[in-house]
Amino acid sequence: MTPRTRKRLNVWVVHALLGIWVIICLLPPVMLVAASLNRTALFRTPLDLLTFRDFSLENFQVAFTRGDFWFFFTNSVIISSAAVVITLVVCVPLAYGLTKISGRTRQAVSFGVLAMRFIPYVVLALPLFLIFVNLGLSGSRFGLLLAHLSIHIPFATWMLVGFFDTVPHELEEAGIVDGCSPWNLFWDVSLPVVRSGVIALAILVFIISWNEYLFALFLAGNDAQPLTVGITRFLGGTEAGAEYGIIAAYAVLVIAPVILFALFANRYIVSGMTAGAVKG
Amino acid sequence: MASRREKFTRGWWFILPGITLMVLIVGAPLAMGFYYSLHDVFLYSFRNQVFVGLENYRRVLEDPLYINALRITTIFTIGCLVFAVGLGILIAFLLNARQVKFRSMWLALFLIPFVMTPVVGGIAWRFFIWQQEFGVVNQVISLFGGDMRYWLLDRETALLATIITNSWHLTPLSVLVFYAALTTIPDELHEAGRVDGAGPFQALWYIVLPMLRPHILFVSIIIITSAFREFDMIWALTGGGPGRSTTVLSIFAYNRGIANQDMGMANTIAFTMFVIMATVAWLYITVYRRRFQEH
Repeated sequence: MTPRTRKRLNVWVVHALLGIWVIICLLPPVMLVAASLNRTALFRTPLDLLTFRDFSLENFQVAFTRGDFWFFFTNSVIISSAAVVITLVVCVPLAYGLTKISGRTRQAVSFGVLAMRFIPYVVLALPLFLIFVNLGLSGSRFGLLLAHLSIHIPFATWMLVGFFDTVPHELEEAGIVDGCSPWNLFWDVSLPVVRSGVIALAILVFIISWNEYLFALFLAGNDAQPLTVGITRFLGGTEAGAEYGIIAAYAVLVIAPVILFALFANRYIVSGMTAGAVKG
Repeated sequence: MASRREKFTRGWWFILPGITLMVLIVGAPLAMGFYYSLHDVFLYSFRNQVFVGLENYRRVLEDPLYINALRITTIFTIGCLVFAVGLGILIAFLLNARQVKFRSMWLALFLIPFVMTPVVGGIAWRFFIWQQEFGVVNQVISLFGGDMRYWLLDRETALLATIITNSWHLTPLSVLVFYAALTTIPDELHEAGRVDGAGPFQALWYIVLPMLRPHILFVSIIIITSAFREFDMIWALTGGGPGRSTTVLSIFAYNRGIANQDMGMANTIAFTMFVIMATVAWLYITVYRRRFQEH
């Protein structure tokens, strides 16, 4: 083999392996789409489904009308959006403040925040269930929102501290010379620098809330159930008669927003997910 | 310049509201969870709580079902860790190869398993990948003349299938981090390797892996915490079955607390999970500080 052919072979091997991985990544969502667009999805092989030989939008029609899609959808949208807004309002100042306090205290508080990030969700969900029964919050969107915040706030604070750490000191020092108030230093000097980090965080928090299932299962009761609980009710077969096509259509509707984020806002998601990696 | 003291108070004004809320919203359930774990609490007679001290912990640690769930959780966590880190390094390395173009497009597609709702991911894998007759895995196996299996319905294979499915969900995270780290390795290092006659695998072993060590630690801790508490994916795939072959601690605690209505024991199980994770977190921070920050 000449070096030239070996090089060309390498290119092919690299692309083939990456291609296989892309197929593995995309196969489950693609199968959902294929099954949702075929009238009969049961007892057909994957390749057969991908030919769309029984194409129909009927499954989506059923998913929308049978089984309260819009009720679950409203709950999901309200809880996820509220979680984003509150997390930002609480955590952006908190993370900024943490980068301004002195070494040892900062280390202790950061350790606390990091430790909270390690808490398994079920550890919070079980007592919250009992607390909410006591307070009359069980089965309310507000209660579920509080539960979501208990995972978002440590996560968001930890991530934002990483972003605020990248703001150069000179910038704030210049601001102090110009006579900025502490609030101006935060709002007009530091915050604009980390703007893309804040956007990244907002997207990640939305995705986490949208995907969340455990808290919803424990705390949503009958009135606050989001889409993730809605689809498992379909699975039980009461609404869809365990028809693959309808379940797949419902699943496609559930994942559509997060997939769109992955395709069109991936720059932000990547920067958010790798933010902590640099400093740990 | 502001004085030290001014600097100190200025920070705290921003911190206090958030810290208060965080302590309330995370600390309160945690404290109540510990409180309930010291009591006999049953959902059907919730007002009737009897203090039993550490009795619940003794019962849990002597319970073969708990030991079983702990064992399965450990296997699940380590399995996901090995798959996700191994695949992550390999794919990041391939993606970083000089000839690969459109890298952000590849990355965007790689991201999809990670953002896809775990419950829905579990459902998709259960119906279309692991399904015993028409699932992709069995279709491919029969193509090569192998034996079809009841992946999720067989005690022997159910845990492996859930590990693979969850690794599919977690690998994008490690790909992203490792890829971001690889792009910071200067080209000269690869160049030097090539001059010395290193092939791709030697380059991976001798140049890339040592550079990635702090990132491997970081990714590992994220994957360990995530896999250790996993509930959604396993719940959607197998519901903890068949038998108890995929009943991890999260599912075990849920069954005890909600299905059996024994909230005292459920909170005890959950609190042992918290202790385990707190230990892991503490180990991680100690190791990280000692290894990578001192120099």
